[in-house]
Amino acid sequence: MTRVDAAAIAAGGAAGGASRTPARTFRLGSWLSFRYRLRPVVVSVLLVVVTVILGVATLTLGRLGIALPDLPGALLGDVSGKEKFILGVIRGPRLVVALGAGFAFGVAGSIFQRVTRNPLGSPDVIGLTAGASAGAVSVSLLWPNIIPVPVGALIGAVAAMIVVYASTGRGFAAPQRLIVAGIGVSALSLAFVQFVLSRAQQEQATVVSGWLNGSLEAKDWSDAAVVWVSVIVFTVLALALAPRTLLVELGDDIADGVGARSSATRVFIVLIAIALSAAAVSVCGPIAFIALTAPHIARALTRDSGAGLVAAGLTGSALLVAADLLVQQAPLPQQLPVGIVTAGMGGLFLGFLLIRQWRRTG
Amino acid sequence: MTAVSTPRAKAPHDEVSVAVQRRRAWARSAGLVTAVVVLGLLVLVSLSVGSKEIPLGDVWAALFGNPPDDYTATVVESRIPRTLLAVVVGAALAVAGAVMQGITRNPLGDPGLLGVNSGAAATVVTSIAFFGVSAAGNVWVALPGAVAAVVIVYAIGHGRGHGSPARLVLAGAVVTAVFSAYVQAISLSFPDAFAAYRFWVIGSVAGRGFDTFWSILPFIVVGLVLCLSLVGPLNALALGEDSAVALGARPGVTRLVGGAGTTLLAAASTAGVGPIGFVGLAVPHIVRALIGGDHRWLLPFCVVLGPALVLTADVVGRVIARPDELMVGVITAFIGAPVLFVVVRRLGARA
Repeated sequence: MTRVDAAAIAAGGAAGGASRTPARTFRLGSWLSFRYRLRPVVVSVLLVVVTVILGVATLTLGRLGIALPDLPGALLGDVSGKEKFILGVIRGPRLVVALGAGFAFGVAGSIFQRVTRNPLGSPDVIGLTAGASAGAVSVSLLWPNIIPVPVGALIGAVAAMIVVYASTGRGFAAPQRLIVAGIGVSALSLAFVQFVLSRAQQEQATVVSGWLNGSLEAKDWSDAAVVWVSVIVFTVLALALAPRTLLVELGDDIADGVGARSSATRVFIVLIAIALSAAAVSVCGPIAFIALTAPHIARALTRDSGAGLVAAGLTGSALLVAADLLVQQAPLPQQLPVGIVTAGMGGLFLGFLLIRQWRRTG
Repeated sequence: MTAVSTPRAKAPHDEVSVAVQRRRAWARSAGLVTAVVVLGLLVLVSLSVGSKEIPLGDVWAALFGNPPDDYTATVVESRIPRTLLAVVVGAALAVAGAVMQGITRNPLGDPGLLGVNSGAAATVVTSIAFFGVSAAGNVWVALPGAVAAVVIVYAIGHGRGHGSPARLVLAGAVVTAVFSAYVQAISLSFPDAFAAYRFWVIGSVAGRGFDTFWSILPFIVVGLVLCLSLVGPLNALALGEDSAVALGARPGVTRLVGGAGTTLLAAASTAGVGPIGFVGLAVPHIVRALIGGDHRWLLPFCVVLGPALVLTADVVGRVIARPDELMVGVITAFIGAPVLFVVVRRLGARA
């Protein structure tokens, strides 16, 4: 399966998207120029539109919703008590966190799938999000206020990736082993979380177990800041490294031959993806399968074999906001954590991917 | 490539002299007896360890008729059901894992990894939430989900007969993801109905009574008999599909009987104690490392060492998190995941 994908990427990359829309070159003065194709740009704009509609629905629907005519005024700061509370405390930060976390998961998933040359090599399948949540839970329960939670998530994610990398025996280059090792690391991380939880105070443990399913409940603006600062910083870095990443995808020999040092590039881009996932997990828990599904959907929409990072990120935002809207408006006695919905839907999508892939390869 | 196919790799060794073979059989018998003794000791330890420690001597006395005092007798008695449950569930899961590995010729066979436990859990949760069945130990309720999971995993993972180990595990992960999301959603939506099952969802032998034990026991006995009847065909199958047919084994029948047996075992243990993973993976691999891949010895050793692992996990869970208890499924993951890493490294070059 990898060989097929690598070949497809190589063909698409080498010929600049060959048979589809021709690539255009954008120039801004003499210091910025890049090649782009029209379809991904149009798709990205449409994704933004869809996300905006979903976001408006999130703010307006339901018992606590702000009436649609009042929304523009409310957003511009003309707010009274109730709207101010809903926009500033309840639904506003939640929506902003969902947008950022979805984007982070989408970009991280896209990077991992490209670097591992494995359509299933996303952070949730290979155990990264589980490791990040183990790290976050540990620091927040065992050393509260000493180590910041995002740092704990980062440590956990890096540790999980080291275990996966070491236990496959061939690093990230063994597609099937990678996934099995990831399942093992996930199980180990979850067991560790249970152990830490059993050592914690009852009320702390209750708060954390809600978070562990992946939840967007009770988010505030500092959570939003953590997510969005990471998203902006690391997405820019990833985009800056994108040309080199593309060369690495063509094969280490080619990359080294033209001066894009393959191992260094791979380490940097993987670290960026780890940091993005860890930031999102530290705020809203291990929300499952956004990172897996978003790049696939983006690729299908843009018909771009490499699925641009931005398109994957926008798809992630749209998916997470949609899932959260579903959770908020579902007529259930108790609101479910959004991670349960994404796990169910994402699991079905993963099954669909497997069947399709195996039909093709026989 | 894997431990499952070792009989072929070791063919030259099988032609060793009768004397050596006899010595090997003695060593294995001695090993099995030792394992039984260890299991007996673990049973006593399980009866003695807990929030109230009972010395081993008093446990022995309480078991055989003359307890030092009523209190001791009561404490020991209260720990008997969970100990018995750990024993039968351990045997069921270890044998189910070994047979799954044998019939799929896949070193990653495990009722937890392949999604069977989560399928069973899904129907149990459904019956508790919507039909008011008090389903602890109700195997009939767990069976449909287990069967559904087996069918789905096999359909996705085996495709047109090109099933690879990782493919089956991946299919198992898909099934587990969807079913566990469902279990979580239901148990969070009906908090009252699930107050008593909070630990069951993760896998725990605590707080279950004799009724649970008796209701799962017949199913586990039937499942064990089905599986243990397959030692000959499983050995033949380990040589490869063609050789097995040449030796007179019928792979289709073996897979069917083995599938039925393992599904029964997985459904019964999940109905009793919740979804416990990694026992079925870890125990057969440890046994193979000790005595080789001959199913005539492998399965009996699994019957003894599976309970030993689950009992150890349960006792450790009681000690490690005092004054609370850690669910047995958590400890088995700690023990089993490293085994998974070792097995992964030995997967074929294609993976």
